[in-house]
Amino acid sequence: MHRFEYHAPTSLDEAVALLKEHGDGTKLLAGGTDLLVHMKEGGLHPPRVVSLHAVAGLDGISFDKSEGLSIGSAVSMGDIEANDTIRQRYTALAEGAGIVGSVQTRSMATIGGNIANAAPSADTAPPLAVFDAIAQIIGSGGAREVPVIDLFEGPGSTVLAGDEVLTGFTLPTPPANTGSVYQRHTPRKIMDIAAVSVGVRLSLDGGNIGEARICLGAVAATIIRATEAEDALAGQTPSTELFAKVAELARAASSPISDVRGSAEFRHHLVGVMTKRCLDVALERAQEN
Amino acid sequence: MTTYSSVGKPITRIDGSNKVTGDSLYAGDVQLPGMLHCKLLRSPHAHARIVSIDTSNALALEGIERVITAADLPTFNPKRMSNRAYNLLAADEVLFYGQPVAAVLAVDVSTAEEALDLINVVYDELPAVLDSLAAMEEDSPLARAPVTEIDRSESKGHVSVDVKEEQSDKPSNIASQAKFSRGDVDQGFDEADCVVERTWRSAMMHQGYIEPHSTVADFNAASGELTIWTATQGQFFVRDQISNMLRMPETKIRVIGTELGGGFGGKIFLTQTLAAVLAKLAGRPVKIIFTRKDDLQGATPSAGCVVDLKTGMKKDGAITAIKAKIVYDAGAFPGASAVVGAILLGGYYRFPNLEIETYEVLTNKVSVGAIRAPGAHNVTFAIESHMDMMARELGLDPLEARMQNAVSEGDKMPSDVPYTRIGMKECLEAVRDSDLWKSRGKKQNGNGKARGIGMAVGGWLGGLQPASAHVELNGDGTIKVVVGANDISGTNTSFMQIAAEELGVPLEMVSVGTGDTKTAPFAGMSAGSKTLFTVGRAVKEAAEDARQQLFNIAAERLEANPDDMESVDGEIRVKGSPDKSIPFRRLAGITTGFGALYPPIIGRGAITARKQAPGFTAQVAEVEVDEETGQVTLLNWGIVQDAGFAINPLSVAGQMQGGATQGIGIGLWEEMIFDDKGHLMNDGLLDYRMPTALDVPNIETQIVEVPSEEGPYGARGVGEPSIIPGAAAISNAIEDAIGVRVTEAPATPERILRALGKI
Ligand SMILES: Cc1cc2nc3c(=O)[nH]c(=O)nc-3n(C[C@H](O)[C@H](O)[C@H](O)COP(=O)(O)OP(=O)(O)OC[C@H]3O[C@@H](n4cnc5c(N)ncnc54)[C@H](O)[C@@H]3O)c2cc1C
Repeated sequence: MHRFEYHAPTSLDEAVALLKEHGDGTKLLAGGTDLLVHMKEGGLHPPRVVSLHAVAGLDGISFDKSEGLSIGSAVSMGDIEANDTIRQRYTALAEGAGIVGSVQTRSMATIGGNIANAAPSADTAPPLAVFDAIAQIIGSGGAREVPVIDLFEGPGSTVLAGDEVLTGFTLPTPPANTGSVYQRHTPRKIMDIAAVSVGVRLSLDGGNIGEARICLGAVAATIIRATEAEDALAGQTPSTELFAKVAELARAASSPISDVRGSAEFRHHLVGVMTKRCLDVALERAQEN
Repeated sequence: MTTYSSVGKPITRIDGSNKVTGDSLYAGDVQLPGMLHCKLLRSPHAHARIVSIDTSNALALEGIERVITAADLPTFNPKRMSNRAYNLLAADEVLFYGQPVAAVLAVDVSTAEEALDLINVVYDELPAVLDSLAAMEEDSPLARAPVTEIDRSESKGHVSVDVKEEQSDKPSNIASQAKFSRGDVDQGFDEADCVVERTWRSAMMHQGYIEPHSTVADFNAASGELTIWTATQGQFFVRDQISNMLRMPETKIRVIGTELGGGFGGKIFLTQTLAAVLAKLAGRPVKIIFTRKDDLQGATPSAGCVVDLKTGMKKDGAITAIKAKIVYDAGAFPGASAVVGAILLGGYYRFPNLEIETYEVLTNKVSVGAIRAPGAHNVTFAIESHMDMMARELGLDPLEARMQNAVSEGDKMPSDVPYTRIGMKECLEAVRDSDLWKSRGKKQNGNGKARGIGMAVGGWLGGLQPASAHVELNGDGTIKVVVGANDISGTNTSFMQIAAEELGVPLEMVSVGTGDTKTAPFAGMSAGSKTLFTVGRAVKEAAEDARQQLFNIAAERLEANPDDMESVDGEIRVKGSPDKSIPFRRLAGITTGFGALYPPIIGRGAITARKQAPGFTAQVAEVEVDEETGQVTLLNWGIVQDAGFAINPLSVAGQMQGGATQGIGIGLWEEMIFDDKGHLMNDGLLDYRMPTALDVPNIETQIVEVPSEEGPYGARGVGEPSIIPGAAAISNAIEDAIGVRVTEAPATPERILRALGKI
């Protein structure tokens, strides 16, 4: 790690002002579970680090049926995993947060950091996307909202400007009879990063599928929605054949690369298998709810 | 059967509480006044000429004391430069990605790291030779100047074999080769009813010790004394090597082998000479601690290997012939012992006809060293898969087919050396009787996942080296044992048991300490499964000697015959007359007190080991395979191992579980992956995957005891065998589950899907 200047502002305004003053090289610090690894081993050497630890008000979770769910950017994975409302209504998100790293990692890692870090394999990104989550952003130019699915530009890169801070996420209340799931493929059971991940939400309307969301992780430069696959589900009666067809569409939507975690062919194959499995689970959960 | 009071009992490790509470002193904990921190600049290329190195910007950074390159180092005998140890920093040419090119000395670690980026090295890239098979071709470019006069002293610590390795005279990437033959293999294959021919690949993998390489060196210019605190399995080896390299007398070198956070063959000798040289150059103590990346890029992993294997078996299960070519990828410096692999490949079973060629090939990858049973898991993966495949094809029971052909005492290895007494058959018998093995074929597949059970055996010849020990009587009548062996596996706990046994005292009365090279009696490297086997014998002898001294003095005091003495409950007494006795405390007084009549008690144990006691293991894997994703889940694991005599059954079981876990890692995850330019792609523990606690199933251990001739109480080496058969057992279990064979270790989901034809 190289030497750097450290700031610990106590308000969002102060944080934004620091970012604006010092420009692009400055990095925000939340749990540090990505940033410190990059600084120690990844060749990232920011001249300045601005910690969000002392900024109040970023670590709350609240739910209201009409407003939906609101999660502060500094909420830890552990707190998301343990939250009953999220477990029941936003199951995929609890699953995504619950699989990150180890117990120790989950106590430090924040959802804001996971999203701002913009890894295509980020485990809370597909779950947020399937619930149509909106990211709340504050910068020197004021506040703005961006759907999570539109937040990413590529690996490690988001639409956030250098002086912007992610403050939280809002997720609309899912319709009744909704089931959701998040699964990832990793060679090891834990302490691993997704080679492929799939988030699915199915909201049933009578016996048919009302609304469907399928979001794929680690198979493109950013997370992607498999929109053709989603469209093929809408208004349809769930069946094995339908799910097989939809899984095939999801597979076609992915454009994985070959890297140290697997070849493109392998990932392609897994997208199909895992989408099918996730559809089955989501349906079962939707029928139970 | 003899009954013992201390040996043979499960005892928790004496170093355990210090490790758990963080009180153990590791080399990294050593802080000296004025100490500088060293970071190494590593080559970004697998093969390149160094055109120039500009260190001026780095030197200008505040806090940087020195930046050292090869030009600043002492020059060594050029012949020795074939040895990795002599190449402290790359001189004109870099031979592997990650090879150290410059060393920065700074007041703290961060400053040293920062300076690395400021060193400007101009390279002229050369073609990188990466594939060991292609490297053997006549017209292959050379990975490096051919090696001459390979110094094999390090690998001899792990296994003792007396076979001459040939070196080719023509410039070639082949560092060494050997060939073994017996009978007529063509005829053997003609007689076979089943012939299996396959190519088996196993990856270069890392020993995965928890503590990285760490050394602190301090050179006192006034006295000319060099002190080194270091994480090593062999402090005397380090001392001897440094003495040779730096031409210093051993009286001036003190190597303190600190508590070791794992070695597995990978922590012998790597950073110590460099630290010493840097400390001398800087005139200040120097600390080198590797990061995990340093360890993965630039330590000495275990060789990758390709085995072309052809074997034949008759309908009745009798094996007829083996023909094989083994190629170890040694990386850029010799370090893979090709001979041992050949001996094991053809040495588990009584092949009447045999032809095995074995090669150690140089490539532009990080150079390899030992691992737990170096070279054994690679060849065992091949032969133990073949035994299963042949039995399967002929409709024979795979365990019985092994039993029928297994070697036992007197059978010859491919090197024509006969086995001493070994327990391979006993291990197989124990597996045959185990519930796990008996449950084959009885379990249901569930939720689309197929279950299977497979087994494999492994054996290791073991190393031989002299050893010595002292046993002394303390002033309060307790016992002090001093050894020079670095305790990597609980050996000091077992030495305590041995001393207590021989002196007839409770364990609480014995302390065992590892001295350093200035204070301890000599011991060989803690490698080759030989520490208890050799140093344990020395401790036993020293304790017997001390006992005799106590008997002599007690006999004189009690006016009895020394032959009539016995040691019971902390006193020496005349057999059968408990009232005629002298307590140890009193004996201590009359041998150490002011004006004492008798000399202090100091038992001497010094042994040389001549007879290997090969250790065998048989292991069973139960797997569940997801045929759609290729994911393998281990459900159960059984390991049987011949310990000869388990001096501490708890330590033995721990060694068995640890080794089995590493074998599981080799079978399913562990693999150093290089890109087509020779860059290591997985230089951290996220993508160099070792199994986590959740990935390893319950491991059921069972010790069998077939006594060795020379080991204390019949003990034989137990450290290494347990790692050997894991990959083969898993491969066999996978075929049992899904009917296809994965011929490459690790068996990743992707390789399984390819074998299934799904991708
Ligand atoms: C051992 C280990 C295991 C891991 N396992 C997983 C895993 O299984 N799945 C997974 O997805 N990830 C995993 N990670 C990565 C990491 O833990 C997560 O991405 C985590 O959520 C990052 O959050 P953080 O609070 O630690 O972020 P930090 O490291 O503090 O920040 C990450 C990035 O986001 C920026 N940032 C942080 N907060 C904000 C904000 N409010 N506004 C704008 N930018 C911000 C930072 O500047 C930085 O670039 C693992 C990491 C470790 C060390």
